[in-house]
Amino acid sequence: MTSTLPTAPAVMIEARGVEKWYPNGYHALRGVDLTVEQGEVVVIMGPSGSGKSTFIRTFNALEDFQKGTIVVDGMALSNDVRNIDAIRREVGMVFQQFNLFPHLTVLQNLTLAPVLVRRRPRRDVERQALDLLERVGIHEQAHKYPGQLSGGQQQRVAIARSLCMEPRIMLFDEPTSALDPEMVQEVLEVMQELARDGMTMVVVTHEVRFARRVASRVVLMADGEVVEQAPPEQFFTAPQHERSRQFLSQIG
Amino acid sequence: MGADPIQPAHAAPVTPWWRNRRLIPWLVQGVTGLVLLVVVAFLVGNLVRNLTSAGLLLSWRWLGNPAGFDIAETLLPFNAGLPYWRALAAGLVNTLRVVLAGLVGATVLGTLVGVAAFSSNGLLRRLARVYVELIRNIPLLLQLVFWYFVVFLALPGGRDAIQLPGLVLAKSGLYLFKPELINDVWQAPLRLTVEFGALLTGLVVYTAAYIAEVVRGGVASVAAGQWEAARSLGFSPLQTLQRIVLPQALRVIVPGLNSQYISLAKNSSLAVACGYTDLYSVAETTLNQTGRAVEVVLILLGAYLVIDLLISALMNGLNQLVQIRER
Amino acid sequence: MNTSPSTRLQRLRRELFASPLDGLISLLLIGGMVAVAGSLLRWMLVQAQWAVIQANTTLFAVGRYPLEQQWRLWLLTVLLALATGLSWGLLRGLPAGRARRLWPVNDRVAVALLIGLAVLGPLMLGLQPLIQLRWWLIAAALIASRWAAGRWATAIPTGLRRWIPLIWPLLYLAGMVLISGGLGLIAVPPSEWGGLLLTLLAASFAILLCFPLGILLALGRRSALPLLRWASVLYIEFIRGAPLITLLFLGQNILGFLLPGGLAPDRVWRAAWVLTFFAAAYVAEAVRSGLAALPPGQLEAARSLGLPIPQALIHVVLPQALRVALPATVGQFISLLQDTTLLSLIGLLDLLGTARTVMANPAYLGRNAEVYLVLAVLFWCCCAALGLGSRALERRLNPTTDHPAQA
Repeated sequence: MTSTLPTAPAVMIEARGVEKWYPNGYHALRGVDLTVEQGEVVVIMGPSGSGKSTFIRTFNALEDFQKGTIVVDGMALSNDVRNIDAIRREVGMVFQQFNLFPHLTVLQNLTLAPVLVRRRPRRDVERQALDLLERVGIHEQAHKYPGQLSGGQQQRVAIARSLCMEPRIMLFDEPTSALDPEMVQEVLEVMQELARDGMTMVVVTHEVRFARRVASRVVLMADGEVVEQAPPEQFFTAPQHERSRQFLSQIG
Repeated sequence: MGADPIQPAHAAPVTPWWRNRRLIPWLVQGVTGLVLLVVVAFLVGNLVRNLTSAGLLLSWRWLGNPAGFDIAETLLPFNAGLPYWRALAAGLVNTLRVVLAGLVGATVLGTLVGVAAFSSNGLLRRLARVYVELIRNIPLLLQLVFWYFVVFLALPGGRDAIQLPGLVLAKSGLYLFKPELINDVWQAPLRLTVEFGALLTGLVVYTAAYIAEVVRGGVASVAAGQWEAARSLGFSPLQTLQRIVLPQALRVIVPGLNSQYISLAKNSSLAVACGYTDLYSVAETTLNQTGRAVEVVLILLGAYLVIDLLISALMNGLNQLVQIRER
Repeated sequence: MNTSPSTRLQRLRRELFASPLDGLISLLLIGGMVAVAGSLLRWMLVQAQWAVIQANTTLFAVGRYPLEQQWRLWLLTVLLALATGLSWGLLRGLPAGRARRLWPVNDRVAVALLIGLAVLGPLMLGLQPLIQLRWWLIAAALIASRWAAGRWATAIPTGLRRWIPLIWPLLYLAGMVLISGGLGLIAVPPSEWGGLLLTLLAASFAILLCFPLGILLALGRRSALPLLRWASVLYIEFIRGAPLITLLFLGQNILGFLLPGGLAPDRVWRAAWVLTFFAAAYVAEAVRSGLAALPPGQLEAARSLGLPIPQALIHVVLPQALRVALPATVGQFISLLQDTTLLSLIGLLDLLGTARTVMANPAYLGRNAEVYLVLAVLFWCCCAALGLGSRALERRLNPTTDHPAQA
């Protein structure tokens, strides 16, 4: 499949005309388009209720949508259960509330899915899990339970847990919003290093400094639509749309 | 970007129906529904066939036939010549009698024991705990037969009867409201049988232990800050309990009481063990005489269901009253 | 206690006589307790005639189980003692979470009680020396296996450890064969089972089966599929609205009509199944509250990792939900054990039913108090033991001791 010529980066996520209505009739996504190439770090920002979390949750079928198409890593999101499972194996997700499994140790949290879903031998997975824990700086806590860790540590474990499935895309849904301020930095540093290693990432966040430093592109969403997309420097210094200017003035 | 938009690996693939996540719920329900239908049809079919061959097909006319048995104690007048439905009605009234009295008694006793858990007296607290732990781990039926055979049937009779102010406990019954001994026979405006007494005592003592736990949990759920605030305002412990804590605790207690009341109503069906002719006991006799199993069971289930619904409706109304209005 | 006598006295004074009212209450209570205890003791030692128990121990224990086949029950009891000792020892020897002592105070007290019971019990019951010896051996087997398991628990290879819980299902199956027959053993029909044997059998059967059934019902109750949800609701509400005796009544009288040709399983099995279906509805409610307590993100996290629904349920949802539901569920099991007494009302010879036939014997007429007291003590011990076991299990399953650091 590889040729000697450098190929254009593969498109990891291709969303076209995505529309979603909630059962009560609320129009959450009003025709959203987004393309994410391999290795890109796309940061999605916007006021609350803009649909940004809803949008990225459509990528791994945690939310469904009524109109439009989404193609993830070459697989179209359809009603096929096998399809969805395949996509979920390739897409990792980190939640605002960490969502670690409290009844399992940190190590068990990491090894559960690879052993059960990818059917890999436990010993290999444990070795990989310990490596990952070392990368995120939690090596000594491998046999502790999530309840014994701080918020920042838990979120780093959550990142490691997703990475243990060797995904090709990582989604972050406001990963630092539930953390005490002094712990935000340690998580952002892990995410920054992940980006440096070339992971394709889509991050919903309010952290402007992170976006400026790490993002390849910033996307502003409001009222269920993409208002503007631009490289971070351009977005933060010279926004084109009135709505973007309004938003930037609000977050200071 | 420059590159062509990627073509999906399979262009608009047809999702096989067994993997389609929109269809799977309907498939599952369809299969389940089918299985349930088949099972029910099988059972009902057998039921009809067996009943027909025994000549017992569903009918209600037999309720008008004379009962042929007597009922030991009944509020409504009854004799063996009266129809079955009147027998069942008498049984139902007996059930309601003991359930109502039981609810009142168990609530009073249960609340006292539950509140005793917060008493300043260490002995009282521990005794309350012992009571609850003891009663909850002994089967109700065992307690009922104990009360009936060991306590109430062993009551002395006539002059030796236990005489308390306004109440006489004798072998022949319980007499309330100014009992008098006339010719060695006790008389009083209100006479209850020992069977009723034993059943009532057993139900009250048993259910009170559970209600005590509900009350205790409710009072414990009121934040400690409430007690402190009340004390700093100068309330006595009793006043605090009455005015501040109990109203808030009721919010948690009332739903718990609902399930305990329903439990008591259902437990009253164990009256058979005490020789008290409640609805279940009359129904059992009716079944033995007529063989009309299906109808009798339906009547029983229906009656207890109605009682449960009445209690729930009442408690739900009470629940609305005690809810604290919040923003 | 390592407090000085004066502080103990002070504490007693504070607890019992803090105020004049308290003092009065204390005096009344103490007086009452002394009076009751005195008359109870007097009755137990002087008036009570314990022959009714001593003469009928076999009847109370196993009903009319054929004498020549009772060796099978002895064998089962020995196996149960060994398995209990083994599980107990492993529980202590392989602590989860903090390292605990091998012989904590509770265990030592329990062993002392056990030895006391094994020595005094047969003596008080007036059992024959040979049978007394057997009980001593059984108690010794339990303690020995407990000690051995505790000592050598860590020597067991980790791979083997996962298979150990299988002992209990296997033992259950072996027990059923030993009790009812088959595999070369003479069949003993359920009509000949009685007493404590029948009570424990009915209770354990119902407890084992109502648990998975209750879990399924709870999952159905919370399902998004309308048919499953309504079917579960209907079942649960129907069962909860009916008194157990009515359902047992239904089982005994109508089951024969529901099956072709009027063939119906033995009355004992009918009652056992009714108990199972009855308890399942209540267990379902307990498990449902456990499921409701689960943070919604848990299932999402599991799905986003690619875990299919069955595996997400088994490894993520149910372990957490069942931990929360454990106290209420064990409460239902205790109720179930107590509810077996209702079998006596439909003519089956469980412990209570056997007791009533014994008391109908003219030789033992009027000995109600003695028999009921012994039965009450027996039930109380079993139920209290279950309660203690549940609390111990709770502690073991919740190894996180620190506060959760959720933001």
